[in-house]
Amino acid sequence: MSDPIDLALVILGLPLLACILAAYLAITKRSAAKYAHVPLILGCATGAVLGIILLLKVAADHDHRFISDPMTWFAAGNLKVSFQIVVDPLSAIMLAMVTFISTWIAIFSSSYMHGDKGYARFFAIMSLFVFSMLGLVLSNNFLLLVAFWEGVGVCSYLLVGYYYEKPSAAAAARKAFLYTRLGDVGFLLGIFLLWKMGGWNMSLTAMFDYMTKIPPDQGELTAACLLLFCGAVGKSAQFPLYVWLPDAMEGPTPVSALIHAATMVTAGVYLLARCAPLFAMSPDAQIVVATVGGITAILAAFIALAQNDLKRVLAYSTVSQLGYMFLALGTGGAISPVFAVTAAMFHLFTHAFFKALLFLSAGSVMHSMGGVIDMRRFGGLRKLMPVTHLTFLCGAAALAGLPLLSGFWSKDLILEALTKAADEGKSYTGGYYILLLVSLVTVFMTAFYTFRAYFLTFWGPERIPEEAGHHAHESPSRMTVPLMVLAVGAVFVGIAVEPFNHKFSHLLEHAPTLLQAQAVSHTDMIPHHFNKWLASIGTALALGGLGLAFVMYRKGTETLPGAIEPVFALSRNKLYVDEVYGAVFVKPGGVLAFLSSAFDGFLDAMTRLISSIPRFVGWWVRPIQNGLVQFYALSMALGLTVLLTFVVFRIAR
Amino acid sequence: MNPLSDPQLQHTLSGVFRLVVPEIVLVGTACIVFLFGSIFNRRWIWFTTSLLGVIAAMVVAGTVKTATPEVLTTASIVPDAMGGFVRWVALISAAVLLFISWPEVNRSIAAEYYGCLLVAVAGTSLVGRANDLITLFLALELISIPTYILLYLPVRTKRNQEAAAKYFLLSVLSSAVLLFGFSYLYGLTGSTNIAVIVDTLTKANAEVLSPMALVGIVMVIAAIGFRITAVPFHFYAPDVYEGGPGGVVSMLAVLPKIAGFVALARVLGLVGSDSRHIPFDANTQLPLLLWILAILTITIGNVLALLQDNIRRMLAYSSVAHGGYMLIGIVVACSLPDATGNLRYGAEGLVTGPAVGGIDALLVYLVAYGLMTFGAFAVILYLSTPERSVDAIDDLAGLGQTHPISAGTMAIFLFSLIGLPLTAGFAGKLLLFVGAFTAPADTATMRNLYRLLAVVAAVNAAIGAYYYLRVIGVMYLRTALNPIRSSRSAPTLIGAVALAGATLFFGIFPQPIVNAARKAAPVPEIPSTTVAEAK
Repeated sequence: MSDPIDLALVILGLPLLACILAAYLAITKRSAAKYAHVPLILGCATGAVLGIILLLKVAADHDHRFISDPMTWFAAGNLKVSFQIVVDPLSAIMLAMVTFISTWIAIFSSSYMHGDKGYARFFAIMSLFVFSMLGLVLSNNFLLLVAFWEGVGVCSYLLVGYYYEKPSAAAAARKAFLYTRLGDVGFLLGIFLLWKMGGWNMSLTAMFDYMTKIPPDQGELTAACLLLFCGAVGKSAQFPLYVWLPDAMEGPTPVSALIHAATMVTAGVYLLARCAPLFAMSPDAQIVVATVGGITAILAAFIALAQNDLKRVLAYSTVSQLGYMFLALGTGGAISPVFAVTAAMFHLFTHAFFKALLFLSAGSVMHSMGGVIDMRRFGGLRKLMPVTHLTFLCGAAALAGLPLLSGFWSKDLILEALTKAADEGKSYTGGYYILLLVSLVTVFMTAFYTFRAYFLTFWGPERIPEEAGHHAHESPSRMTVPLMVLAVGAVFVGIAVEPFNHKFSHLLEHAPTLLQAQAVSHTDMIPHHFNKWLASIGTALALGGLGLAFVMYRKGTETLPGAIEPVFALSRNKLYVDEVYGAVFVKPGGVLAFLSSAFDGFLDAMTRLISSIPRFVGWWVRPIQNGLVQFYALSMALGLTVLLTFVVFRIAR
Repeated sequence: MNPLSDPQLQHTLSGVFRLVVPEIVLVGTACIVFLFGSIFNRRWIWFTTSLLGVIAAMVVAGTVKTATPEVLTTASIVPDAMGGFVRWVALISAAVLLFISWPEVNRSIAAEYYGCLLVAVAGTSLVGRANDLITLFLALELISIPTYILLYLPVRTKRNQEAAAKYFLLSVLSSAVLLFGFSYLYGLTGSTNIAVIVDTLTKANAEVLSPMALVGIVMVIAAIGFRITAVPFHFYAPDVYEGGPGGVVSMLAVLPKIAGFVALARVLGLVGSDSRHIPFDANTQLPLLLWILAILTITIGNVLALLQDNIRRMLAYSSVAHGGYMLIGIVVACSLPDATGNLRYGAEGLVTGPAVGGIDALLVYLVAYGLMTFGAFAVILYLSTPERSVDAIDDLAGLGQTHPISAGTMAIFLFSLIGLPLTAGFAGKLLLFVGAFTAPADTATMRNLYRLLAVVAAVNAAIGAYYYLRVIGVMYLRTALNPIRSSRSAPTLIGAVALAGATLFFGIFPQPIVNAARKAAPVPEIPSTTVAEAK
């Protein structure tokens, strides 16, 4: 029990147990189904406590890494598949964070989903979701990682399509699944390539050791890294595959909180962080990662500007923030990978808090407004929902990167990484310089759209849609308490662990894989310091965005000056990306599908023809089985004679 | 020194009984059952006694420590890893057979039935450790003779009698051929000890190939071909499977195959001795002969199974085909003397040697085959009643609705027979096919032949999928015209469900069996000097 590996397995096992219990309740349809949330909450809460203990153990350990003994699952020739988990600072941080956030989301959902007919089903899938994510984080070989990676995909499919009777929900679920699968194709190819390049090692640690000792071909490595990145692009909703994430809003709001904060979209960031030793060796792959991150950041921020659906604003903001994380990851190799990964992971960590908070607050608003989430239809909820208002404000301020809040520190670290890469990076300094400018513009836009949503929802005269009825009210305490806890986190978690005591970066500095990445990248460690200029510029931009939003939206309604109306229209229509995809990919796809179907018919006929051959052969040899025992004996004797003749003649020749 | 006073020799000869205690326990139990069965015949008494006998044999097998005899050249019994593997497979088969044969045993025949079963199992177990032609022959007959009685016992219809008589006649014929072949081997080497024979022939064949030795071994292969239903020695199978009683047929489908393949591996020198030095390696044309036999057996078995409407006949032909798949293991093992420098992972990182040794794959397949064959027959037995036995595939129509558990387990066995992933059949097929595909060969022609073997086997596996899936389709997609009533025999159902569970377990996690098989027949690792020479 005190062994870290056992501890990790317990943490992993708890949500699985919760899933089994909840699934049992869901299948048997007992009246006890209304307690289906208990296993998940207890499991996650215990998991969070154990996760923090585990984190302390990892921090105190000499090697900062525990690897379980491999358990062989299957071995055939070169292929040896074993189960192995690894606990190092990266996975320990994720473990603690995922379980902690999930606990509060689970508590929130127990009230939010109250009375829903699929209550037990909901919690069963939520548990499976958490389990898959924890497994993904812990696994130390690609096969296991892929299994959990797909597990996460399946759970998101089930949860996004939770209201499966609603056509739009079913379509959104399908879209989420297919877009992430598109990335997974590359992911799998990348794994196969890496498997070959890594000396047929399935274990990640062994593979990294092998490849850092025997450097592989640069071109192949870049290809493998980019293929892995394809998987991350799908899962973490990066350009050009980000379109599924906003549609995934069709699921219940706590699901969005879970997907956006803890269990799904962070998987891609985590994958790249875990594979940092590979990426650090390939600067060409890194600039692609950073560029995709930059494009995603600014594109999603632009689309978020004019969305009217509160949850969609938040969804695009997630896409944009994930872009930031990839921007940071993409600098690794040009500058110290330890610094780059720390920046990305720190942003992932703080983002989990404030994004979960924002989604849950939006859920609270939605709950109170009778399911309406269009910001044009409600407003001025400041008085009506004081707790939600304050917690949303905390989250929005953190997201916008207002000074001293958690989002500020992590964003600062990313900007710092970009500045370093543009300044003194080893390669592509010009590219990183442009990306730095892009990210600064995005800071401004982020602050603007976040506070636009805030003002539209909570300021101005009170407006309530008729769906809410007369009992529009603050949400019950089971919903507000998680909000308050997460709000405290969103405000203080950044300042508590990084800017003064550098606890977070110290922990990651000792992560063995990151040290490995550092060693292969031949870069200098970057000392901790606070870049006043950068922080001031970031603050100024954030405050500028906030100010602009205040000027335009403090009345709680949207009146656009004619000049920017076209820009907003473009943003509102999501730059017509869905339509472009429809015209460029889906329509030709339909034609291709028709041709394939015709070809399939032809093949089918051929197959039938071929498949009749064995039948014909059988019909032809059947008469020799005539039931006469003397014939059987004769055949055996003849068979023996033929065999003998064969052998003797071959020898005699 | 006088050989009679050599203490090692004396020790070897007198220590023989210690090596076969479990078999003695089995035969002893059988004697008790035979003796007292004539006084009172109750099914449950003799069932329990036999089960206790099997359990006692297992306990003894697990506890009695055995040491390898000092003088291998005189020892008639060797307790090596292969023998241990076969013994456990045989003992577990015995327990399974006791359970699944429950409905066809009535009180008038219980003692004889169970007694014969135990003797046959003891024979199978003995084959695994026989190191002498005489012992081997006796052990093989110990399986055949009880089978004659068993085939005749439970049902006494014309069709059944015909099946029993056919099996008897052809089996005696094959035994005669086997003895004839053994006599050649004895005449050439002057010994009946297999270790001596293998050693002598290896040395002799290194200089000049002896046609007489080949004639002898071809007869042995032909005779054992009867037991493993290799074409053209398979003719009895469909008729006997169709006419014989279900439980006995399931025994007949599995035990002689285990015994036959193990005996073949022993006589060909593929087990126990250095697998780099075997008497009949690639330059004797014997692997080619086995190659032809394998392809013929797989293909004929599958195409004829395709045409059957009787499920027992279909299973008979499918069992012929599976015998062919298992022959691949023998072919691959014969190729190993040519093994040079294939890289693979061993205990300490990269070592050289083939990925699959052939015999290990064969053993894994035997276990998988046993699981699914016993299972399929168990379901048929469970569904058959004295008034109405399940014969035609159409009898299973609508089973998915009327008997969900039976249909589910049957589907698992059929999936395993096809070789779909996550069933034991897949693990077995994978190892065999990988073995054939990566078998080391000294010439390009041989390499192509081995690959062709893998391809033919894979194509046949696809053909096989058709007739197995047809049964599944009948069970789930059609409605029952005349719903069958089951025999309500709980032991059979328990046996079927346990077998289905094992099929799934070893499909998902095959490593325990693979490890056990590799212990029994290690994949050869090539000394580094040989690799250096090859380069």
